[in-house]
Amino acid sequence: MSGEGNKQQKKRYMLKIDSFAYANKLRNVHPAEKTAFALTTMLLCLIFSSVTLSAVIIILMAGVTVGLAGIPVKTYLRLMFLPFSFLLVGVITVAVSASAGDTVVGANAAEWLVKIKISKIALGITPEGLLAAARLFFKSLGTVSCLYFMSLTTPFVEIAMMMRKIKLPALFIELTEIIYRFIFVLLKTAEDIYTSQSSRWGYSSFKNSMNSLGCLTAALFVRSLHRSQELFTTLTARGYTGQLNVLAPQYPVSAANITLIIIVETFLVISAVLLEVNKFV
Amino acid sequence: MSDYIIEAENLIYTYPDGTQALKGINIKIPKGKKVAVLGSNGAGKSTLFLHCNGILKPQQGIVKYDGREVRYDRKSLLQLRKNVGIVFQDPDSQLFSASVYQEISFGPLNFGLSEETVRKRVEQAMSATEVAGLKDKPTHMLSYGQKKRVSIADILAMEPEVIICDEPTAWLDPKHAQQTVKLFDRINSSGTTIMMSTHDVDLAYSWADYIFVLSNGEVIGEGIPEQVFTNEILIKKADLEKPWLVQVSEVLLIKGCLPKAAVLPRNRERLFELIINHGTNVGEEEVINDFSDFRNNGRERDHISADLKGL
Ligand SMILES: Nc1ncnc2c1ncn2[C@@H]1O[C@H](COP(=O)(O)OP(=O)(O)OP(=O)(O)O)[C@@H](O)[C@H]1O
Ligand SMILES: [Mg+2]
Repeated sequence: MSGEGNKQQKKRYMLKIDSFAYANKLRNVHPAEKTAFALTTMLLCLIFSSVTLSAVIIILMAGVTVGLAGIPVKTYLRLMFLPFSFLLVGVITVAVSASAGDTVVGANAAEWLVKIKISKIALGITPEGLLAAARLFFKSLGTVSCLYFMSLTTPFVEIAMMMRKIKLPALFIELTEIIYRFIFVLLKTAEDIYTSQSSRWGYSSFKNSMNSLGCLTAALFVRSLHRSQELFTTLTARGYTGQLNVLAPQYPVSAANITLIIIVETFLVISAVLLEVNKFV
Repeated sequence: MSDYIIEAENLIYTYPDGTQALKGINIKIPKGKKVAVLGSNGAGKSTLFLHCNGILKPQQGIVKYDGREVRYDRKSLLQLRKNVGIVFQDPDSQLFSASVYQEISFGPLNFGLSEETVRKRVEQAMSATEVAGLKDKPTHMLSYGQKKRVSIADILAMEPEVIICDEPTAWLDPKHAQQTVKLFDRINSSGTTIMMSTHDVDLAYSWADYIFVLSNGEVIGEGIPEQVFTNEILIKKADLEKPWLVQVSEVLLIKGCLPKAAVLPRNRERLFELIINHGTNVGEEEVINDFSDFRNNGRERDHISADLKGL
């Protein structure tokens, strides 16, 4: 049951991100501006391993996403917590060091902050390990916040449009677009079948659930095959010859936005370099 | 140049699973007319439509476009599909693109038109079907009726000579159903042939210039609406129903409330006109005056409906 709830919740998040992308206050900003902003910031976050810089980026992105784009704080926090469990495991493995003797392997400041000894092996946390963990943690969260900014403010359609602009292979873009469309068609189909099954006691017992789930999976498979055939027919009827040509809507380019982005990014670069030079965390 | 835009001669088609969907269909679609194809579920309407723009190739028989036999090489097929547009029954199988705007631009772009022309056509198609407000919406967020309208806009933007619509008004609310019909009338008045399948006998009766009745893969009847819908045997055989206008008119005729020689009324207004004309026994011109009076005068109308109830 909890697995069920979890799945439902994940699906809801996905749909939520998608609907916010279409209804936020930055909806009419040129997608190229948003992409440039998110990608440069993300790049900085990845290049410089400064905790301070990452923290600044997290705050900046949160401010822009919540403050400017108008995404509700609660939703934003929930979304930020989604990668937490996964992030925590990664951070703990990095933070904890192990060594065969009393000394820490490969560390010059051979200091344990915390240490447990299990027979000959010492497990514990060193300042280095802690710092690396903190760096990883903030860096990941910073990157995630950039990606969230992008996906919460820019509809997939426009992201695809950007991919066209930077001349990614057409086949790749068309595939992602059709997959995107089909995810929703399949989600809807699965939901409809599920509803129709459960309204007929399909999930009333373990045995029934197993049976129904099997049928649902099979039906989904067959339907997606059928759907793709139908799609091919309807596309052919409209003169499809192997290329999905579509026209993207036009957006106004804003000089003010571009200037603002340049200023913010310059500020981030300068602070990043200063932090690096001064060996600040 | 032929008087018929699409012709099918002795069309036979069997699906791979052995279902014989078409068993020797003969139809001639008159150029520039509004044609309705009626028939119960599984009669073969959708299958017939798929032959009209070369998606399906007849196993026997031929399809003609504008008097010339359709050839099935790549170039001829593309040309045919430019001339004959199909709005499919299920919009979910037609809409592929993430946004409405992109979706509609697909067809005209395939013809290699300039970006400017395509944009203009997309805008026009969107305003004709009232989906301009949805232009940036992803197709999966639309309601069924909205999807249906987008799928109509898809084809409008291609500006074909013939538009074939598979059940265009199913699932639409009354307002948009009527709007769609009006839209078809408008497109038709500029010379485009419209062909639609429908289960709505009232719509077919009032709207169509010519009707084909399909049953079990065969054409069992055809003609102008008045002919088709007064043919009891045909209606029974095709599992159809008489339109309410025909039913009411027939009762009125028996009761002597309509002139014996009158042509069956094709719409509500004409029926009222006939009733009033018959009741007051006045000249043609005065009838029209009477009629407009009648429309403006609520009390008069109550009077009429009281009369009708009294029957
Ligand atoms: N892809 C297919 N494979 C096998 N049989 C099919 C296929 N599509 C349709 N049929 C069969 O062909 C016959 C005619 O179907 P068609 O879809 O043309 O009917 P229709 O008149 O459009 O019906 P409806 O009013 O329900 O849309 C039906 O018996 C149907 O079961
Ligand atoms: Mg059909």
